[in-house]
Amino acid sequence: MPKQQKTSTPAPLIALVLAYLVPGAGHVYLGRRKRGIIIFVTITALFWSGVAVGGVMTVDSVRERWWFIAEMLTGVHGLVGWHRQRKVYENVLSGQAYDLRRQDDQDLLDAKLHEEGVALVAPAETVARAYAGIAGLLNLMCIFDALMLAIMGRTGEPPPPKPAAAVPKGART
Amino acid sequence: MIAWTPFHNPMTLSFYHELWLLLPLCAAVGVVYKTIRIHDLRHLVREVIFLMLYMVFGLFALAVAIWLIHEYWP
Repeated sequence: MPKQQKTSTPAPLIALVLAYLVPGAGHVYLGRRKRGIIIFVTITALFWSGVAVGGVMTVDSVRERWWFIAEMLTGVHGLVGWHRQRKVYENVLSGQAYDLRRQDDQDLLDAKLHEEGVALVAPAETVARAYAGIAGLLNLMCIFDALMLAIMGRTGEPPPPKPAAAVPKGART
Repeated sequence: MIAWTPFHNPMTLSFYHELWLLLPLCAAVGVVYKTIRIHDLRHLVREVIFLMLYMVFGLFALAVAIWLIHEYWP
């Protein structure tokens, strides 16, 4: 029977860093192996499904800052996505100076991304960013859970809930 | 025409397909949420199905309510 141990003291910082870098790794570190694997598979599948729908521009650090922050919460997945997006920008811009705060330069960049066939437009954009961003937000929830478990010193699977105390027959309530 | 490469070029989707893609998203949210919440992992599938149904029917009810307001609000 799985038991929750309170004797070993996991390091909250290690749990936090692991949970951020690899979704589910924080739970594996805390002895919740099955939960960690389920979290890893689900968040990985969700993030890369988003990238499969939206292509390389799903993770866009330049023009979709809020989604980008959410996507970065998937750890290595977000970092790989960001690296791929930066490569596309380097190729498309090819050393030219652009100021993306200016509308003219944004329009030029859009035209070039369309030429390359990587421009992300609705409805694929909505689906891709929702998938990848929500994967990051789900990992944030897992990071918080792993951190709290580590701070409370809980490792291993939780014990089964105690059955409610039986009320003796005839007892007055 | 540029050849489509998975994970590089975006897919071509219609707005009709977009709605169906809400189901895997709800399933993923349900799986991760219930994985960290439940005591016994043996009940995971059942709990995820219930939560997914809550989400889908909740969103449907919300959509109907907003549509009714949009259509009939004076």
